[in-house]
Amino acid sequence: MPDRINPVGGLEIHGLEVRYGPVEAVRGVSLRAEPGTITAILGANGAGKSSLMKAISGLVPATAGRITLDGDDITRLPPHERARRGLSHALEGRRLFHRMTVEENLKVAWDFRNRGGSFRAVADRVYDQFPMLAPRRQTPAGMLSGGQQQMVILSAALIHEPRYLLLDEPSLGLAPVIVQQIFGFIESVCRERGTTILLCEQVAAIALRVAHSGCVLRRGQVVRGGPAAELAADPALSAAYLGG
Amino acid sequence: MRDPLTLTLSPEGRGKKKDDAMQFVLQLVFAGVCVGAVYALIAMGLSLTFWTTRTLNFGQGSLLMTASVATVAMLGAGMPAALAVPLGILLAGGLMVVAERIAIRPLLKSGDSMGWVVSTLGLGIFLQGFVSSVFGSQAIAFPSLVFDSLDSVDVAGVQVSSQYLAVLGLSLTLMVAMELFLRRSAWGRAVRAVSHDADAAALAGIPVRRVIVLSFVASGVLAGIAGVMVAQITGTVDPSFGFNLMVLGFVAAVFGGMGNTAGALVGGIALGVIEKLVGGYVSTAAEHGMAFAILMVILAIRPQGLFGRKEFTKV
Repeated sequence: MPDRINPVGGLEIHGLEVRYGPVEAVRGVSLRAEPGTITAILGANGAGKSSLMKAISGLVPATAGRITLDGDDITRLPPHERARRGLSHALEGRRLFHRMTVEENLKVAWDFRNRGGSFRAVADRVYDQFPMLAPRRQTPAGMLSGGQQQMVILSAALIHEPRYLLLDEPSLGLAPVIVQQIFGFIESVCRERGTTILLCEQVAAIALRVAHSGCVLRRGQVVRGGPAAELAADPALSAAYLGG
Repeated sequence: MRDPLTLTLSPEGRGKKKDDAMQFVLQLVFAGVCVGAVYALIAMGLSLTFWTTRTLNFGQGSLLMTASVATVAMLGAGMPAALAVPLGILLAGGLMVVAERIAIRPLLKSGDSMGWVVSTLGLGIFLQGFVSSVFGSQAIAFPSLVFDSLDSVDVAGVQVSSQYLAVLGLSLTLMVAMELFLRRSAWGRAVRAVSHDADAAALAGIPVRRVIVLSFVASGVLAGIAGVMVAQITGTVDPSFGFNLMVLGFVAAVFGGMGNTAGALVGGIALGVIEKLVGGYVSTAAEHGMAFAILMVILAIRPQGLFGRKEFTKV
């Protein structure tokens, strides 16, 4: 990856390191997400994918390196400030507010990044997008099925039309038919709204089907990178780095 | 501590529509509901900060005592009550912010440390000692603000103290206001979101630090108001009254399950009523011991409290 700052736009990461005490989870990762594309970040469990995502959104501090968003250095900004700059992050493991209703989950996502506009209109658009959520808007989110929870998470993450979206393992624990629906939605978000997406996945095949480019993490370092089609066509890839 | 019940049980309250025994029970229950509503405010304050930081502020009692004593001092210096009481309540909120800054936040930096138990308790003991050294450890008279302790009204044949009635009304109003705040306002929802999952809340753009500070201010204001109300009922404040009150609030919170406003309210009122009944039929000396007996029973048979749900996490 070329080490340069793009003054126009995009999300760039230079030499990023994340440490938890003596453990180095991310070791000198540099990558660039081209505006309006989906970049898949692949790797086995424990390769550092989630730590990389959390460092980008600010949940864990970067011990070294630099993160720039549209040319601005955001490396030291707290996570809520990054969120307000249009960087959204959907955590792994369907972390939504389980005891709050579907509608409250959307409202919480809306309130503090509000730049004007009507919540009602935005919420109605969510229910149009995912009709099965409409009758459940007053249901505690913890009572929904896994697929419905993922829909709420995606809708909440996208409620302010962020320019950047980090998705951590959106397929985890979901039935194949739901995974297809979720990935179809992710692809449409990128295509129709121009959202730049970083997509973490253990299941390389699904991610590479929607991604434009990808990179493979292994023990906290980028070991492969390139166009998605190229990575998908490489039979050695899954055997070598992804554990099948 | 002067028992205010002896005042409402004076002879003129007897022999009306209901017989003495009935009158006695109803007065005990009523007094229990009133003091219980105050415990609920303390419980709510403890719960709020527990939700946002997963710590218990054991200094809360001494903080509210400091604020009450400061209020007495301001009143004694000739400041009008309309100024001194709100200032005292704000002081409780301010002290709570200081407590968060020095006794809780630094200790949460080191992972799963339980250091906050010692630091908040230590802060409380320090304040208690500090106030004792300045004002002495004797009880200081707290002037009546609205009603005199002898004022009473007749409710359905039962003599009830006006002071108790006012305390009950104000406590219930505050609890309803808290519930509305948590359900209907953006900052209230933010408090709930932070308590569920602080990371996810931060990613939603919520300034988590500010929400935590807000929860401490709210906790302090609730405790400050509770302190003034208890001081009204008992007529005095002393350096240890806050700690006792906090323990009762803590038992009420555990009783109610620490999960929501309704739990705090029911826990507080149940504790108050049981306490007063024991005080009336067994001995007033056994009153406060009851709180601990309840705490032990609850922890043994229903640790999630009356209203508590078991913490559930989805994998």
